[in-house]
Amino acid sequence: MPRPALFVAATGALAVALLPLVYLLIRTGEAGLGRIADEVLTRRVAELAGRSIALMVVVTVACTVVGVAAAFLVTRTDLPMRGAFGVLAALPLAVPTYVAGFAWIATVDGFEGFWAAALVLTLCSYPYVYLPVAAALAAADPAQEEVARSLGRGPWRTLTTVTLQQARPAIAGGALLVALYTLSDFGAVSILRTDTFTRAIFTAFNLGFDRTGALVLSTVLVLLTMVLLGLELVSRTRGARYAGGGPRRPATRFHLGRLRIPAVSALVAVGLFALGVPAASLVRWSIAGASRPGTLAEIGAAAGNTLSVSLGGALLTLLLALPVGLLTARAPGPIATLVDRLSYLAHALPGIVIGLSLVFFGIAVAYPLYQTVWLLALGYATLFLPLAVAAVTGAAVQAPPVLDEVARSLGRSPFVVLTSVTLPLMVRGIGAGAALVFLTCVKELPATLLLRPTGMDTLATELWTHTSTASYAAAAPYAALLVGVAAIPTWLLGRRTGLT
Amino acid sequence: MLLPLAFVAVLGTTACGDDLGEPGDKKLTVYSGRSEGLVKPILDRFQQETGIEVEVRYATTAAMATQLLEERDKTPADIFFSQDAGALGAVAKAGLVAELPAEVLAKVPDTYRSAQNLWVGVSGRSRVLAYNKDKVTVDQLPASVLEVTDPEWKGRLGVAPTNGSFQAFVTALRVQHGDAKTKEFLDGLKSNAAKIYENNVQIVADINDGKLDVGLVNHYYVYELAKEKGSTPEDLAAKLHFFPNGDTGALVNVAGVAVLEKAATDPDARALVDFLLGAEAQRHWAEETFEYPLVDGVSPPPGVPTLGEIVAPKIDLNDLDTLDVTTTMIKEAGLAG
Amino acid sequence: MLDAQGLRKSYGPVLALDAVDLTVEKGDLTAVLGPSGCGKTTLLRCVAGFERVDAGTVTLDGRAVAAAGTHVPPHRRHVTVVPQEGALFPHFSVRDNVGYGLDRSARRGGRVDEVLALVGLDGYADRMPHQLSGGQQQRVAVARALAPRPPLVLLDEPFSALDATLRTDLRRDIRAALRADGATAILVTHDQGEALSMADHIAVMRAGRIVQHGQSNQVYEDPADPWIAEFVGEAMLLPATIANATTVDTALGRLPLRGAAGAAGRVRVLLRPEQLSPTDGDLAEVTRHEYHGHDTLLGLRLADGTPLLARVMGQRTPPVGASIGLDVLGAVRAYGDA
Repeated sequence: MPRPALFVAATGALAVALLPLVYLLIRTGEAGLGRIADEVLTRRVAELAGRSIALMVVVTVACTVVGVAAAFLVTRTDLPMRGAFGVLAALPLAVPTYVAGFAWIATVDGFEGFWAAALVLTLCSYPYVYLPVAAALAAADPAQEEVARSLGRGPWRTLTTVTLQQARPAIAGGALLVALYTLSDFGAVSILRTDTFTRAIFTAFNLGFDRTGALVLSTVLVLLTMVLLGLELVSRTRGARYAGGGPRRPATRFHLGRLRIPAVSALVAVGLFALGVPAASLVRWSIAGASRPGTLAEIGAAAGNTLSVSLGGALLTLLLALPVGLLTARAPGPIATLVDRLSYLAHALPGIVIGLSLVFFGIAVAYPLYQTVWLLALGYATLFLPLAVAAVTGAAVQAPPVLDEVARSLGRSPFVVLTSVTLPLMVRGIGAGAALVFLTCVKELPATLLLRPTGMDTLATELWTHTSTASYAAAAPYAALLVGVAAIPTWLLGRRTGLT
Repeated sequence: MLLPLAFVAVLGTTACGDDLGEPGDKKLTVYSGRSEGLVKPILDRFQQETGIEVEVRYATTAAMATQLLEERDKTPADIFFSQDAGALGAVAKAGLVAELPAEVLAKVPDTYRSAQNLWVGVSGRSRVLAYNKDKVTVDQLPASVLEVTDPEWKGRLGVAPTNGSFQAFVTALRVQHGDAKTKEFLDGLKSNAAKIYENNVQIVADINDGKLDVGLVNHYYVYELAKEKGSTPEDLAAKLHFFPNGDTGALVNVAGVAVLEKAATDPDARALVDFLLGAEAQRHWAEETFEYPLVDGVSPPPGVPTLGEIVAPKIDLNDLDTLDVTTTMIKEAGLAG
Repeated sequence: MLDAQGLRKSYGPVLALDAVDLTVEKGDLTAVLGPSGCGKTTLLRCVAGFERVDAGTVTLDGRAVAAAGTHVPPHRRHVTVVPQEGALFPHFSVRDNVGYGLDRSARRGGRVDEVLALVGLDGYADRMPHQLSGGQQQRVAVARALAPRPPLVLLDEPFSALDATLRTDLRRDIRAALRADGATAILVTHDQGEALSMADHIAVMRAGRIVQHGQSNQVYEDPADPWIAEFVGEAMLLPATIANATTVDTALGRLPLRGAAGAAGRVRVLLRPEQLSPTDGDLAEVTRHEYHGHDTLLGLRLADGTPLLARVMGQRTPPVGASIGLDVLGAVRAYGDA
């Protein structure tokens, strides 16, 4: 792909990602500085920001610890049944935080507040760290570790000074996604009653239909995101960008020895907490409640809608992420870095803000798309572009630029090179990105409610419909199906992680 | 390869659903802030009887109101079916809805409709104190809602401050007792460690499970819970207490409808409003959603006092659309963001 | 075939190409030889079209492909490349790799098998790249570059990742393949042995400039300056005094001059180790041996302490510590002291 075309396409993708910011700018601009100051400069906002940041830090640290530990155990030790654990460790990503939150509060008396929310968020989002780190550890060159060992470093020193350093970009990238997700999450914090910024934004929408106040508050989240993006950028190392072509040897595995049983127990415990508790709750709801879900046809229609809009969302998101990811990988420099960072900027905004900004866009600019699946897919792209960009950037490693150059020199046009060389080589990484975006689309609720075509139900909206009238037994099959649908791509992601 | 095709197929079936529509084309788009489970059966009946096709968009009342405010004159909606008077007021105030004919409004008592003729209530609900009969005896129940800030209720009360009904109730407090007294009440809730819930459903469920002693909710949530449990309200541990003597705690709020400006002359929209105020729909509210019918001649749900028996506070629901002061006060009391 | 004039290219403040002129005749193999960082890879990338030149022109077969306001993209230049590590498309078989630059009729016409035979890999067409050794991969990369019969093939240090014995065979075979196919090629390398053994012409590059361009033996025997002398082959620079227009006086006696004396007075002269032949005498002492099998490099020290090197063929190698005399074969080149 030639640079100018890449820049144009990346700019287009960026415009989609930044729609919410344009909307925020317009609406907060209407509010005026005085109103903004009144809304933002209050003790309440300071408290909320403090709690949101604290929650973000706790969840990010916890996810990093759990995610890196699980990745290490699965890829670098003689853990028994590593294949099964590799998949098990990824599966919690399929459970939406609102399902997990409901399950926990129904299971444990008085389960609410900051630490409850932190636990549920950690259980649902540590795979954001686990997946990329496991892949990085599996792909890392064992020669570096061998050199460290030969220079007299013990296994643990080698782990911390070499192995984890190799995985550092993956850890930082995953931690960033967790941090941004925690800022934007509404499901867990509302059900577990923790006052965070995002809960305050939803509350502002509910309290007197105060759109402006809610949007002014949202801008604070964007500022927080900027700080996080800066931090992650600083933590990135300028390492080798492209994988070497040499023969790959499997890394030596640590012998767990006496740590074998604790390690297995820990992974089983995480699995039970993250998957077992929701599963048990769903079963209990089904048995205890008298309400019944819709007919099989209705459930099937909702599942079909979920599949098709999530798939459409994933495809569109990947399509938009491709130029951004390729630009970052192929034309590194300040512009590419800026484009990459900007694509994350709206990622901490709650779904309702993204949804409203696309309502605004649909009404003002793209009315023929309004309340069609296309605008919904565009909404998913706006929400989840960074996930796809990260996947594409990572996949570009598999297609080093020298292959493009050779192909060009053999008389093939940029487009032919893209389709015959670059994309086929990136297809696995792109597939992983698509799987990740797909499963997050399946779980998404607030933006789906605002953007879906009138009369179209998905599993998530049906789940919402039934829980809002306390019809838990009716809700249970939708929840189970939703987790089941999201589990398929998650399972695929877990399988390809480091078990080659 | 098949899945993208499925995506296109969905597009084909849904893209045609939101044309702006012509008056009298036997098609209506309804934005419903009320839950699908509560209103879908009655809208299906309407469709059967009139042949008017109804597309319904479900979300929370607040989200629907926000969406309408964002869409303004480009909205695909013909009718806004709101959970409470406040949201109807907010949309009406933005100049988005059409005036209703006098003969429609006349079916409902003055108290339960817009003073500017911009919306009309279709069903009512009373604020109540729900309590667990094993934790609280009848003689311990407070005579006024203002008493729940007394020390004996410390840590025992649940409220859902972001819920529209709670906000309407607080606004009613202000109208009846003034802002100073209301502030005192809200601060009292906070210092009395009232438990903050996202919605009334959770409050009633926790009361029934004995996790919470009392909660300020709408009367029908106990019926919903009984329905979900496959039993009757009599068998539940959660019971209802209607505050007596015109106490603000017994405020009656309504769910109602407004017709969007674009459907001002649409006979289909008018037909739906009439249907919702007709005997069949009114009976549906009483029997299926356990709400108060607002039109004369239909009995209320079993086991609750009639609207006439409740000594509802003297509150004009039209006063409840000035929510900004209320919400500021709720925020300042630290009960919600 | 290729005519590059006044090429200039900088990356920010770094000047990579500084007015480079380079001409390559049809059927010729020219090596661009220089130390790492001299700009030789940039030159190659500018010729291939991967980089835009800041100034200057590149003309291929009479067609301007890079000039002010003109930049023909790489896929329209018909210039193929063989990169350092081969860069085979990992998802294609050998056949598909080699056929990548061919149109359908050429692919069917047996060109793939023809070039594979040329590089000595007949029968490997259906292998996948990861089933080949490094040397075989490189052969495929060359075959792929030759397949479309491009007017110019660019080889970017194609042998640097291979071990020495493999490299020698491969150089010979690739050279033969290029010649058999009548290809015109530029070989970029920092290895003077590679350049000398493969190329018809050598262009020596230093700091973004081409400092000498000529036939390979000419560059070796008659380097333009002492730096080139030392970069291309083993070199000894002995202090000397111009005796007359054709001779100089050195510690090894009076030697005949190649070319003009240039400046008068004190100069330095270039001697290659193979120009020194041991004889009987006591001019120098043998200080060490460097055994290469086919020859031995002798470390010598003159009476005044000047170190020298002599290459000796065969068995007649004087032992370390022995005193020997020295014959000087051929003429020497003199450089004025800079």
